[in-house]
Amino acid sequence: MITRRQLLQTAGQGFGALAFASLEASEQQHRALTVTPKAKRVVQLFMGGAASHIDLFDFKPALIKHHGEAADFGEKVETFQNGLGPWKKPVWDFKPYGQSGKMLSEVVAPLGACVDDMAFVHNMVGKTGVHSQGTLLQATGFNLPGFPGMGCWVSYGLGTLGDNLPTFVVLPDHRGFASNGPKNWDSAFLPSQHAGTIIYPGAETPISDLFPHKSGRYIKASTDRIGFALLEELNRKHQHQREEDSRLDSRIKSYELAAKMQLAAPEALDISQESSAMKSLYGIQEHRKVWPSEINAAEEADYMGRKCLTARRLLERGVRFVQIWSGNDNGFPRRNWDSHEDVERDHGPLAWGMAKAVSALMIDLKQRGLLDDTLILWTTEFGRMPSTQGGKGRDHNPYVFTNWLSGGGIKGGVTSGESDLWGYKPLDRENPTTCYDIHATMMHLLGMDHEKLTVRHNGIDRRLTDVHGHIIKELIA
Amino acid sequence: MRLFCFISFFTTSAFSVDFVRDVRPIFERHCYECHGAAKQKNDYRLDIKTVALTGGQDHAPNIIAGKSAESPLFRFVSGADKKNSMPPKTKLSSTEIDLLKRWIDEGAVWPEGVDIAQVEDRLDWWSFKPLQVQVAAINIDSYIHAKLAEKGMKPASQADTRTLIRRLYFDLTGLPPTPEEITKYSALPYDKLVDDLLASPRYGERWARHWLDLVHYGETHGYDKDKPRLNAWPYRDYVIRAFNNDKPYTRFIEEQIAGDVLYPGTTDGITALGFISAGPWDYIGHAEVPETKLDGKIARHLDRDDMVQNTIGTFCSLTVQCAQCHYHKFDPISQEDYYSLQAVFAGVDRTDIDYYPDDTSMQKFVVLQKQKKQLTDEIVALEDPLKKKAGDAYIALSKRIDGAAEKNANPNAKPDFGYHSSVSPSQDTVKWVQVDLGQSVQVDRIVLKPCYDDFGKIGGGFGFPVRFKIEVSDDPTFTTNVALVWRKHDATFINDFANPGLKPFETGTAGDDGITGRYVRVTAVKLARRSNDYIFALAELEVYGRKAGQNLAAGRFVTSLDSIEASPRWRRANLTDGIAPESRSDEDKKRLIRERDALMLAQGNDTTKIKLRALRQQRDALPPLPAPQKVYAGAVLHGSGSFKGTHGTPRIIHVLKRGDMKQPAQEVSANSITQLSQRFGLPFQVEGTEESYRRAALAKWITDKNNALTWRSIVNRIWQHHFGRGLVDTANDFGRMGSQPSHSELLDWLALTFRDDLNGSLKKLHKLIVMSETYRQTSSAFKSRKSGAAGKLDSGLLNDTSLDANNVYLSHQNRRKLDAESIRDAILAVSGKLDLTMGGPSFQDFIIEKPQHSPHYEYQLHDPEDPKSHRRSIYRFIVRSQQQPFMTIMDCADPSMRVDKRNESLSPLQALAMMNNGLTVAMAKHFAERVSKEAHGTEAQISRALALALCRIPHSDELVPLVDFAKREGLENACRLILNLNEFSFID
Repeated sequence: MITRRQLLQTAGQGFGALAFASLEASEQQHRALTVTPKAKRVVQLFMGGAASHIDLFDFKPALIKHHGEAADFGEKVETFQNGLGPWKKPVWDFKPYGQSGKMLSEVVAPLGACVDDMAFVHNMVGKTGVHSQGTLLQATGFNLPGFPGMGCWVSYGLGTLGDNLPTFVVLPDHRGFASNGPKNWDSAFLPSQHAGTIIYPGAETPISDLFPHKSGRYIKASTDRIGFALLEELNRKHQHQREEDSRLDSRIKSYELAAKMQLAAPEALDISQESSAMKSLYGIQEHRKVWPSEINAAEEADYMGRKCLTARRLLERGVRFVQIWSGNDNGFPRRNWDSHEDVERDHGPLAWGMAKAVSALMIDLKQRGLLDDTLILWTTEFGRMPSTQGGKGRDHNPYVFTNWLSGGGIKGGVTSGESDLWGYKPLDRENPTTCYDIHATMMHLLGMDHEKLTVRHNGIDRRLTDVHGHIIKELIA
Repeated sequence: MRLFCFISFFTTSAFSVDFVRDVRPIFERHCYECHGAAKQKNDYRLDIKTVALTGGQDHAPNIIAGKSAESPLFRFVSGADKKNSMPPKTKLSSTEIDLLKRWIDEGAVWPEGVDIAQVEDRLDWWSFKPLQVQVAAINIDSYIHAKLAEKGMKPASQADTRTLIRRLYFDLTGLPPTPEEITKYSALPYDKLVDDLLASPRYGERWARHWLDLVHYGETHGYDKDKPRLNAWPYRDYVIRAFNNDKPYTRFIEEQIAGDVLYPGTTDGITALGFISAGPWDYIGHAEVPETKLDGKIARHLDRDDMVQNTIGTFCSLTVQCAQCHYHKFDPISQEDYYSLQAVFAGVDRTDIDYYPDDTSMQKFVVLQKQKKQLTDEIVALEDPLKKKAGDAYIALSKRIDGAAEKNANPNAKPDFGYHSSVSPSQDTVKWVQVDLGQSVQVDRIVLKPCYDDFGKIGGGFGFPVRFKIEVSDDPTFTTNVALVWRKHDATFINDFANPGLKPFETGTAGDDGITGRYVRVTAVKLARRSNDYIFALAELEVYGRKAGQNLAAGRFVTSLDSIEASPRWRRANLTDGIAPESRSDEDKKRLIRERDALMLAQGNDTTKIKLRALRQQRDALPPLPAPQKVYAGAVLHGSGSFKGTHGTPRIIHVLKRGDMKQPAQEVSANSITQLSQRFGLPFQVEGTEESYRRAALAKWITDKNNALTWRSIVNRIWQHHFGRGLVDTANDFGRMGSQPSHSELLDWLALTFRDDLNGSLKKLHKLIVMSETYRQTSSAFKSRKSGAAGKLDSGLLNDTSLDANNVYLSHQNRRKLDAESIRDAILAVSGKLDLTMGGPSFQDFIIEKPQHSPHYEYQLHDPEDPKSHRRSIYRFIVRSQQQPFMTIMDCADPSMRVDKRNESLSPLQALAMMNNGLTVAMAKHFAERVSKEAHGTEAQISRALALALCRIPHSDELVPLVDFAKREGLENACRLILNLNEFSFID
């Protein structure tokens, strides 16, 4: 008889074949699990389109002083759209918050309540100023498509916490995908169950194929109850003659789990069970149907609030990794962070909505004792220039931008890595922080050695951090 | 000599430093961890003399004999270099530093034969050895059986006929046999079945899919915006045709890399080039960022990298991309080799090119092109001296022609200039003007004609907006159902649009969008500068429908946000009055051209004039060809703006230190992997100056009879798809990071047989494999079983599975889980809905929303009943960013990766998709309708359904509960359940 272990090897997918896997919670530990974990779960917040560090989190008094003066970078600067206008001060005023006295823009004021739990990295650098490549780099560790998303690696390395919900859930902006769409969370060469499962909270079909397609009017709920049982009976007969092939058994079990998911998912997504105080904490206006046609802060808070509240419910119920997106593709009117034309117009509502909802998520997780082992990472594909593009907008800045982290073993109220006087490049240009360092730190907090979580694909032992990555010790509590 | 001896005697005072005694221990203690056998950071190691003295990427040479102060190694360990300090965490003692200093200053003497390691001979690996068969065996089975015997194992018995028929149908055609086909072939010899299936057009459709996985074929660009590639499909059809026509493998390779030059005048020679462009492409990085910028250079580097990987990975199963930043860590591929391969593709981009769907037209096309070029060359040769003779007068006329419109004093034929907005103090003010077409029409093309006004010495292009968009809607307020006319949107709305002078601005809709509307609006978001203020002005707005015809906007009513209404020059009605300044300048231009031509001809004698006239007549008399078709291919691009292409002159390629675009090193010419050229004796001959000859040289290098990688690679791939596992399990990597062959003799025997005896015929190779006993074995690891569904297992396993848990030695066949396409096609087939129409544009099982900018591919809006989507999966439109959810969950290939072997997963989400996806749910209904037509009574119907789905007669213990279920829940639900059976998805 082939043992389960042999079978895992047989499938020729190395550890990935835990496939069936995650079905039965992992009985086997990956060799990368060498560190004592501080975090069990991750929430990644991704601001699609490139959020301005200068207007939100990275306070640059020099820009206020020299606002409107011709920008002198001291070197030739290559920008994405060629626009290099005068220095532009932050659109909003900054003030200190919390014990740490961290300066935050008033447009993200709600985050002030959480600032002592947050750790900032102001010297992030990217590789290019092209959205697609920048987004892929932050989301998958590579600036070209074909690599698994961060959540896929976490799912692959750690498996699931429960068995009736997907391990890795993606909550996209309801208006559309950011650059590259699902390529940011596809499993690529990892088995497909590690891919992010898209959920649209509140939509007609929040999870695709959870229930029969609308053309299946002949299917009643009772049908499936009997049907699942008969299916198992017939499959067992087939399997009894092929006992050496445990894939057949796994497939039978996958239908049991599917039935469980049908029960668990709707309950998890039902935010009507939450108190109205809780909903308003998140900025949700549950019964509001009509919104102004122009982008506005209250509506953005409502959208983001629903995603964040859903995220909390999913995390509580065993989802390992939730990725929340703010901002869609570059359509019109603009509904993302790519403020070439007008920072105030786009960043204003998006940032306030994000801050309102995300601060609620952090407060809520904290009061439930979940923030201790839930790592939160706020990121974007790159930053924006300290000068204007001639008008009211800012061009791409891949040379420096901001990430922040919280919870899950992160030391609160600290800053690791500063940008320069203008927020143009890192203060110490020789020692910037890269996404590899952020990813390595995340993996470390989750109990994994980022250099050991590898999968051989087309001749290369691939990992999330490519051949780079240093754990950022200053960030760890 | 004597003097030298004297000096060296003099300086080595007390004792001289001895490498083995004094220096090597220091290296051992401090350096080997990162620069020794285990790791070679920066490609540097200190346990091998040659590498220590000459190697290391960034600082080589690290040791300069006699000059410690200049030796990077010494500077790093002594603290003299502020940036690099070695070892990174500890420090050498002062005695150690002193010893190293003296050793280097004394000449860095490193005796021969004391190295404790050897440079690995990277060519010493199975795949880099020539094809060779020691023992010529008779057939596949003799190799397999010999190995089994050697391991103490026995082969399984042969599978029963029904099992074999079902297996072979899925293997060769990707479709299930019908019960009737099972009956028919049960009575015929097995090789008849093999021949028939190989002759079926379904064969090409099945095997093309394997090939498209490998070359990561997709029909959108991927990356940001993910635009569709509407002309990618001719390559897909080429691959299907190549398999069905059993194109010899050599030619199949050569056409895909360099068909244009190696097989000119053939359809396949052009459509095959879709191989080069099959992979993803960064639209923004090319179309919005020019090559002069770093981001533009990176995008083009990634583009060539994709072509190189695709070529060498697909045909030679090597991972050349690993040599991008440093010498390949495992295989004999240098960085220079890698960049020489990039140089092979340095002339091409990804673009649509012309072809004709039959060889006769292609040949005519090629001949005509050649004639045209020849005539043009002759004409130019005659004209050039005349032009020179005409001198300054000719140049002056040329300049006038180029700037004909602008230079003209007043190109306004009439005083009705155009529409003119009111004046704004700021440039960012939004202004619009729109035309009411009277009724909703399909809009295909829009032309904006600029104004001319000397005001502020502006002239042509007066008031033409710097940023603007053009929209169409049925709503005069443009609040709902607004369609953007998107093609030039990036050039005019996100970026500044250069003032066009009097050149009309023309934009088309996507052609496939079907944009309709009654109103056309031009919105300026960044106004044109006048003197110290800003305006928006246009002379004429023309709108054309789908078929070439009249200007639909002519004389139509114009509204606008504002207007200065200064009749007659500036008023709204002027926008559609048919009067624009450029019509006269066009005439001027023609007149000037005639003048210039006369001037030139006047310089020649009569003979020249006659000759020229004759040549020109000949050129004009060349027959026209019907409009060509387009294929998206790797080819020379003659573009403009940011996405300019090379116009045929290949880009200069440098070796990039650490793969960094900011650190170019030496320039390289086109070549391939030099160590393999030497090992196998492969010439790399570029036989012409055009870029295509570089590709031809690489194609010939790959198809060389002696390139063992090529021949091993393909037979291994074919084997893999017949057994679920290759003889080499890493089909895309034959290097050291890959696996060793399980049966190296068999692999080489197959490669030689395929190359020499079968002349590269894939169909013959299939037949050789599927006729073998090995292929026809049962997939059970058990000895035998009693018949009947409830039959108990016999006395256990055939072989001790601990001997071969992975079934590497093939003591039995591998049970196979159907891949995504086979599942989908089988569901359609058993439901009686499969449409076998071949070729042509792909069907789309999604709705595109917001095509203007970043298309949203909305699969959930697709109606599973749409018959257009009932074709075989190979004809599915493959989107890169947003893959089809059902296929993806069934592990179909990700078109952004080169997939040699698909993942195989099982998950609750997959179960949910099989149960609930629109495809299964809708098809189960049709499946039920079909069996109710074909059989009477529930029992017969269920029996028929099982026969169709599982290709066998059901047992009573299956039939009874299913009939009961069907009676209670309906036949559709029973059919839906049958599609979810394990047996439907697994092939014994």
